[in-house]
Amino acid sequence: MSGKLKHTPERNKEGPMTEYEAVIGLETHIQLNTITKIFCGCKADSWEDPPNTNICPVCAGLPGVLPVLNEEAVRKGARLAAAMHAEVRLVSYFDRKNYFYPDLPKGFQISQFDQALGNGGYLDVPMPEGYVRRVNITKLHLEEDAGKTKIEGGQRLVDFNRCGVPLVEMVTEPDLRSADEAAQYLIRLRQLLRWLGISEADMEKGHLRCDANVSIRPVGSMYLNPKTEIKNVNSIEAVRAAAVMEIERQIALVEAGRRVESWTLDWDDAHNRLKKMRSKETEADYRYFREPDLLPVVVTAEWRDDIIQHLPELPLERRARFMEAYGLPEYDADILTADRPISEYFEAALAAYGGDPKVLSNWIMNEVLRMQNELGLSADALTLTPKHVAGVIKMVEAGTINVATGKALLVKVQESGTAPEAIVASEGLGQVSDDAALLAVIDGVLAAHPGEVVSYRDGKEGLFGWFMGQVMRETHGKADPGKTRALLQKALKGQ
Amino acid sequence: MTDEITPELFAKLVNLAAFAFDPKEAEYLRTELNKQLKAIRQLESVALDAEVPLASRGVTYAPESRPPLRADAWTPCENPDEILAQAPQVVDRYIIVPNIPHTELE
Amino acid sequence: MSIIDSPAYEIAHKVKHGELSAVAVLEAALERVAAVDGRPGTLDGGLLTDEDQAKVHAFITLTADRARVQAEQVDARVRAGEDVGPLAGVPVTFKDLYCLRGVRTTAASRILSNFTAPYSATTVERVEAAGAVTLGKVNLDEFAYGSSSESSAFQPTTRNPWDPARVPGGSSGGSAAAVASGQGCLSLGTDTGGSIRQPAAFCGVVGLKPTYGRVSRYGIIAFGSSLDCPGPLARDVRDAALMLSVIAGPDPCDSTAATVPVPNYLEEIDRGVKGMRIGLSPDFLRIAFPDPHTGEIIMEDLADEICDVTLRAADKLAAAGAEIIENIPMPNSAYGIPVYFVISRVEASSNLHRFDGVKYGYRSQGDFGDLNEMYRQTRAEGFGLEPKLRILMGMYVSAAQYSEHYYQRALNVRSMIRADFAAAFDPQGDYRLDALLTPTAPTPPFKMGDIYGDSLLMQYADQLTVSANHAGVPALTFPGGLSQEGLPIGLQLIGPDFAESTLFRAGYAFEQATADETWRAVKPRVLTEAGL
Repeated sequence: MSGKLKHTPERNKEGPMTEYEAVIGLETHIQLNTITKIFCGCKADSWEDPPNTNICPVCAGLPGVLPVLNEEAVRKGARLAAAMHAEVRLVSYFDRKNYFYPDLPKGFQISQFDQALGNGGYLDVPMPEGYVRRVNITKLHLEEDAGKTKIEGGQRLVDFNRCGVPLVEMVTEPDLRSADEAAQYLIRLRQLLRWLGISEADMEKGHLRCDANVSIRPVGSMYLNPKTEIKNVNSIEAVRAAAVMEIERQIALVEAGRRVESWTLDWDDAHNRLKKMRSKETEADYRYFREPDLLPVVVTAEWRDDIIQHLPELPLERRARFMEAYGLPEYDADILTADRPISEYFEAALAAYGGDPKVLSNWIMNEVLRMQNELGLSADALTLTPKHVAGVIKMVEAGTINVATGKALLVKVQESGTAPEAIVASEGLGQVSDDAALLAVIDGVLAAHPGEVVSYRDGKEGLFGWFMGQVMRETHGKADPGKTRALLQKALKGQ
Repeated sequence: MTDEITPELFAKLVNLAAFAFDPKEAEYLRTELNKQLKAIRQLESVALDAEVPLASRGVTYAPESRPPLRADAWTPCENPDEILAQAPQVVDRYIIVPNIPHTELE
Repeated sequence: MSIIDSPAYEIAHKVKHGELSAVAVLEAALERVAAVDGRPGTLDGGLLTDEDQAKVHAFITLTADRARVQAEQVDARVRAGEDVGPLAGVPVTFKDLYCLRGVRTTAASRILSNFTAPYSATTVERVEAAGAVTLGKVNLDEFAYGSSSESSAFQPTTRNPWDPARVPGGSSGGSAAAVASGQGCLSLGTDTGGSIRQPAAFCGVVGLKPTYGRVSRYGIIAFGSSLDCPGPLARDVRDAALMLSVIAGPDPCDSTAATVPVPNYLEEIDRGVKGMRIGLSPDFLRIAFPDPHTGEIIMEDLADEICDVTLRAADKLAAAGAEIIENIPMPNSAYGIPVYFVISRVEASSNLHRFDGVKYGYRSQGDFGDLNEMYRQTRAEGFGLEPKLRILMGMYVSAAQYSEHYYQRALNVRSMIRADFAAAFDPQGDYRLDALLTPTAPTPPFKMGDIYGDSLLMQYADQLTVSANHAGVPALTFPGGLSQEGLPIGLQLIGPDFAESTLFRAGYAFEQATADETWRAVKPRVLTEAGL
């Protein structure tokens, strides 16, 4: 699927059917996870703080205050720029974006306009259908977050706690061709932000927010039609739903011979619908000019190169490498690079294990990820280390324990913190593979069930599995299945 | 010379600036703006010097006279309540302002 | 003569050594306020009485109780043998743009008439920590937008102590008038286009616009953020140097406060001017302004008495050992005012965006169903005409479609003005100046009401001072003599970046060289008429 949309045929019974494609650009606002705000010493995170408690003269925009730039915000912004393959400018500038809004205490937002920290860049987004969409970046700059407003009883309530949280505003070219592609871009962006450790990227908490610019055009055409800007689409699902709804609305308009107007729409999450902001609000002239209260941001080439050199391998690169170097299926590679801890966990375990990556992948995807989800921990927070996992698999492969014991053992290691080898030794979980011991058990089982032995020898070979189960029960699951099978076959045949 | 700022343009500026005026005030301000613009237009005759680098402020800051960026360390404000106490209308620590009307899409 | 007429330097010295109590100094200051200031400026101040017209009206807010606590603390600390600081017991005033925690800070505007600052400016903290006693907050043009202090929303506005029928200059008119009339020894003002120097010249006192970045702007309500310089007003050069040494230096709250070491201004002040190269420029002995009807630029020489005072000062400095270099070309300074009309307005309109009735200050009363209606009414009622005019101009010349034509061009010309100064001060250049000597203002103080209302003419009062703001360089004004009408005429020394020390030396040398001249003994009329 290439993201093409067919209009509903009922609406246009006569004439040839037009096929439309969506043209979507996303404007994301990413809260950086610094300790403090971008221009003052208030803490950046005020989640669940009472309103207007995490404020100071600077972020509350009192008369006379001045901004002082947080070094860490620049560093994290530069990391993102580098990871997006953007140029990190050695000299960038802050500008004032002037507008009135009650959540903007100074009446202007300190942002970056024409000489921002990042220049250009792109993200190659693999789509579930198998193709890759390159999404180009047209803007990547630092700015301050505004406060929050909510409406109660016809009044607007304003909370400034969020004012001044460092943001990266990142805007894509209109390169996305469907609601699903838009959702995939956001999923990959969120993964990248967490991978880099520069944002918690929790959309529910507003760490990652999104506005979508949506237009449509007949498939095959290259021009851009008037777009609408949908504000406040703040979950992956909302982006998908809002885009689908707006694409349908625009197609219906065009099919009815009407024009799409460049409106600003508000996504109402509670009711799953779009609302139009009054058109006056959309006629903005921000009168950008250089922020006189801040000097140009000057970084050295060494500083920039250091940022680039210390970037980790990025998730999509690692995903490709897992497929290439380890021969993992795309599905496995995707899951094992979902976040940085799990991918590092996998590679550490692989180094300790040294065996077939796919075998390890199965163990991790089935056992470790389940454990991780049940406990609500990331891989690096598990007591069960990659070395433990490798140890368990090796014991299974050496026949010291069987698979079932191995799986149970992983849980025991996680709960106790004790090395798996030690648990096997102390609890006697070692596999019974000694011929004499196994034969004694088999003889006992046969002696206890003469009827079943007769039936088997009369041709009821399906009973073999039942005999295997009896032996396993007697040995508490420790019997080496291979050896047991061979010995049992001999014994049943009376050899 | 015709007025650069016509009554129409003036009205647009007033709207952008979030002001309201009575006609007498408006006429005074528009007259003064146009007078000032005549002075500003002197700049049109200046032969700009491409050699002179553009700066947002007069003083140039040598690298050693530029203050360092702020370290990312929390310095809690001692009196957020004093800040909030200045707001004209507050309920439950929220600052209250009138609403901005929206219209529903069909 | 009252102790309050003594230099701050001497008062601090005596207080520190227990020879004089800070409380006694404060009493003298308060007595002076009671004698000469009349009623403080208030909103809707009503009609002026005859008595009002004879008083100074420097204050908006007198902080006598706070001052008394501070003075008592100073005295107690002196008795305890502590070092109280270089401003021990010196009564000071602050232009009402300076935030002072717990005290009303109005910017002389209705829109901030009920604002109590929850924090203090860095400079205020430094001055108070140096042992000064805060006498109060003084009047100014609304948001510092003017050159006469008449645009204040707090009436009666400040009058010139030399002739109360005349303006004190502006925008730091309250500061200059307070210092001139002994209502405190020192004041902090701000200078965006001449707002310290022009009122200092009009009131016969010393004023310094420091280098941009020399003094922190944190906590001072902004006008033109790339131009604003906080600085001292004082009765002599040494007191100005004393105040600068207290307030200068980097500040973690101001990213534009340069990390340039602060020299010991007081130690260097009496080193004289021997070998100093001081320039005179014909471009600062005439003014250019557009004919209000035709728009044509008219060039006019300054009045003889102003030129004479300037040239006579050059002679005095030459006699003291300075080398005078004439005909320094400063061609682009003629564009100082047009450039200022653009840049300061763009910054001002942005800086005033925050006054919207939401967070602090005035909010229009009424049941607003629409936020925008609240904004419009609040700003319409809260701002006076001058702020409105500046906001509208700033909006216009920075609008996306006009910015290139106006704002960008103004920035270009500003850089050319800076380049003229750089060439004049270049140690390897043709002129190698240490300072440029000019008059401070094109005229002596004008009569109240004469110019107010003509926004163009009023702005041109800053023609000789504004270039230093564009260039960022420091400029010192000091009294140079009296006009035929007995009004103060100020002189200005402009130096290269961070050369305040040089300016103090030259200004101090001029003071020494003219100490015995008869004009120096003449006192402002409000003092003589009050028998002081």
